Amino acid sequence: MSEDSPDKTIDRSARLAFSFFLSSAGLWLLIAALFAYLAACKLTDPFFLSSCEFFTYGKIKVSQANAFIYGWGGNAIFAVSIWILARLSQAEVRGSVFLIFAGVIWNLAITFGLLGILDGHMSGHEMLEMPKEVWPAMLISYLIITFLILVIHRSRQIKETIAPQWFILAAILWFPALFLIAWHGLEINPARGTLQTVLSMWFGQSLIWLWLTPVALGAAYYLIPAILGRTIDKYYLAIFGFWCIAALAPWSVVHHLEGGPVPMWIPAIGTVMSIAMVFPIAVASTNFHATAFLDLGKVWNSLPLRFVIFGTLSYTVSSYIGVVFSLPAVAKITQFTIINEFHFNQRVYGFFSMIVFGAVYFALPKITGREIPISAKSFHFWTSTLGVLLLLLAYLIGGLTHGVLAGQPSLPWSSSVISSVQPYFLITKFAFLLLAFSQLVFVVNVWRVIFPNPFAKLFVDQKEAGA
Amino acid sequence: MNNLAKFSLGIFLTLGIAWLAFVVGARSQYGDLSPTSESLNEDGSVPVDADLYPFDLSGMAKQGAEEYAALGCVSCHTQQVRRVEAGFDVDRGWGKRPSAPRDYVLQEHVLLGNSRIGPDLANLGLRGYTDQWLHQHLFEPQTLFPSSLCPPSPFLYNEIKDPTPSDLEITSQDNTKDIRHIRPLVRANRLIAYLQSLKQDYELPEVSFVEDDEVVEETELTEEVASAQVSSAPKWLQDQIDAGKEVYMKAAAGGGMCFTCHQVNGEGLAGQFPPLAGSDWVLGDKDRLIKISMYGLMGEIEVNGVKYNNVMAPPGIPPGSLTDDQIANVLTYIRNDWGNSASAVTSDEVATVRKSLNGRAPMQMFTAAELSPDVK
Ligand code: HEC
Ligand code: HEC
Repeated sequence: MSEDSPDKTIDRSARLAFSFFLSSAGLWLLIAALFAYLAACKLTDPFFLSSCEFFTYGKIKVSQANAFIYGWGGNAIFAVSIWILARLSQAEVRGSVFLIFAGVIWNLAITFGLLGILDGHMSGHEMLEMPKEVWPAMLISYLIITFLILVIHRSRQIKETIAPQWFILAAILWFPALFLIAWHGLEINPARGTLQTVLSMWFGQSLIWLWLTPVALGAAYYLIPAILGRTIDKYYLAIFGFWCIAALAPWSVVHHLEGGPVPMWIPAIGTVMSIAMVFPIAVASTNFHATAFLDLGKVWNSLPLRFVIFGTLSYTVSSYIGVVFSLPAVAKITQFTIINEFHFNQRVYGFFSMIVFGAVYFALPKITGREIPISAKSFHFWTSTLGVLLLLLAYLIGGLTHGVLAGQPSLPWSSSVISSVQPYFLITKFAFLLLAFSQLVFVVNVWRVIFPNPFAKLFVDQKEAGA
Repeated sequence: MNNLAKFSLGIFLTLGIAWLAFVVGARSQYGDLSPTSESLNEDGSVPVDADLYPFDLSGMAKQGAEEYAALGCVSCHTQQVRRVEAGFDVDRGWGKRPSAPRDYVLQEHVLLGNSRIGPDLANLGLRGYTDQWLHQHLFEPQTLFPSSLCPPSPFLYNEIKDPTPSDLEITSQDNTKDIRHIRPLVRANRLIAYLQSLKQDYELPEVSFVEDDEVVEETELTEEVASAQVSSAPKWLQDQIDAGKEVYMKAAAGGGMCFTCHQVNGEGLAGQFPPLAGSDWVLGDKDRLIKISMYGLMGEIEVNGVKYNNVMAPPGIPPGSLTDDQIANVLTYIRNDWGNSASAVTSDEVATVRKSLNGRAPMQMFTAAELSPDVK
């Protein structure tokens, strides 16, 4: 991969912001992993930490999701979007100081939010459980970052935009809109009764579909051709895929309310739109996999690309499974079971995080000029893959068991239904432990590259000076 | 696609249409539902004198809902009975009918939930559990169901070393642990009041009970549950509550006359007489209650976060004349009516406090500052 010098100046301008967001993202990833492990421990032994009110199962579960989505997801989105957009715009990142300032506020807001949850101020709205006092700080810091990202995009050299830019920009802009809608409907002009649930569930699911998902898709659209050195196969479909997601995803997310105390049209339209989602899923997977399979050897040999393709395959599979599970006949069995965990982890872990890992491994050496040891990357890849597969398999089979047994009214709840699911909780506990270990390796390596020890840096500087 | 303004317009438009449907549309469709009667007149009007459902939660249950939300019980328990064609909920005896949007219109926290590691709780209040049973379950579910995954909440209870008869005795189902005695904190009482208030036991014009043989199964379930209960209110406690109610209601020599100020329903009068129903004073520290029942209370106090500044002369006719027994009974009564549920007060406890106050001038009313503020 030859680099010309404009790319190098762009990378250098992105260095500060990228390093800041990435290292915070890593910290949150570890915190989320710790929470995930604690929650899994509580499901295998209800007495674990039970006398401590800070750590009830419900609080830990929710903190994990929030640390993962806003902490890891948010920071990773900032890091990846800034770098990819700067590269595609051929424009330097400006205002790094403001980016970092806003990033600090964002991270502080989440920290206080999580402490608030643990201290017993959870709000009960899906993905908005953090006390509402931190919402303004989150929104303002987010808007500052959005503004600076748009500045990068506006100063682009090439007027023509391509798929990665659409997806990333849309995600960046959708988040504040979703956030404001939810804030308005839940706090400013609060809805009554189950309208609250419709709105908070719509928000929580849309975060994944309209924020995490497009960024990961955008990153894949950028990385696959960049690493393989070829254009996306059937690229003309991408625009269709993009607008399908934009138009369908906001509708499809409410099918989880099937059968519940809401007007019937709400879950019904959700189901119809979920089925229609096969189109954008097909487009994305054709684009990615048709391109990648032309040169499988290269995919296998490039670690960043291996992560990305794992992510895109996972996206395809999980989305199709999601479509099947939204069919009313299947939903009747799987609704309310731990299949929900399967969907969540598949999407945020198997898909989003894996692509972000790939993006980081691709970008980090270019930005810092230092490489992560190949053995560490490879270890990370295999432990992550194994952990994710173990986790998802346990939730999938466990969830089906859960649903099928629950559907037989003669079986007592605790002693038959839940005790049959318990072995799967044990497996997820090991999977989370493995993943935590894998993430630790990732974060330690990233940190070592971002903050090298002073002697190593001296060494590199000397070498650079000599070169 | 190349013009940022047009692009933004496009993506906000697609989002906006969904918002119009789910937020604006759904709101105008059923955002103004209000309580109604079980059935309507032919012209669609509500019959006069009919009870309106759902009922509003008591103040105490509302506080309990906050505890429930804050502890995150919703991550394992749903509160919604699905329609018959969409799930097995009615078959499992989790409700007599599917839940309807109207059931939730008065709730501040709508905790439908979407995960069922534990059973649905939309109708927990109909399963016939006593408060004691629920307290034991909240304290440590594993004493009732050894393999239960429901997390224990010992932090909502004080473990008592030298128990009085009113404290809750905890024995485990399989006798593997020593007998323990616990006393609930106010928060536990609130949570139980909330759990007991969860019931959709009325019909609405839009939904009626599901009629079929499943109902039989449901009654069997409740019986099974009833036999699993540790104890229902024992006779001595009921006697004490009855005697206490007499003191509360008697406005002649030897009575307490409490109802004239705090009202028969225990709700007090806004701005003047603080409520006893759901009051953190009543459910809290017993010593404090005993002291004010002997000597009265004056100055600014705070009940459930609301300030009052008035005078309660030493209760009784003549003032300050209530005996140890009477105080024990009336306090036990106010701690166990109107949805309150807290441990009984014994006359021994009253006698101990009286002794400790030996030397205090008669009729010298307490102030809030003088009473230890630790709300137990
Ligand atoms: C880890 C998941 C989990 C959490 C969190 C949880 N529960 Fe449970 N709950 C269960 C399971 C499993 C059962 C069934 C076994 C049993 O009855 O103990 C249950 C049963 C119950 C029951 C008895 C229901 C019946 O019909 O018999 C009540 C009441 C209850 N839980 C209340 C609560 C409250 C209150 C909280 C919050 C402090 C809570 N639960 C949090 C899993 C959970
Ligand atoms: C003359 C009216 C009056 C009578 C009779 C009366 N109270 Fe009160 N009570 C008050 C007032 C006023 C206060 C608030 C005092 C303050 O503001 O300092 C109060 C406060 C209380 C409180 C503490 C606050 C709360 O709401 O929990 C309790 C407990 C209480 N009374 C119990 C009783 C009992 C038991 C009796 C009967 C034995 C009784 N009261 C009779 C007027 C009365």
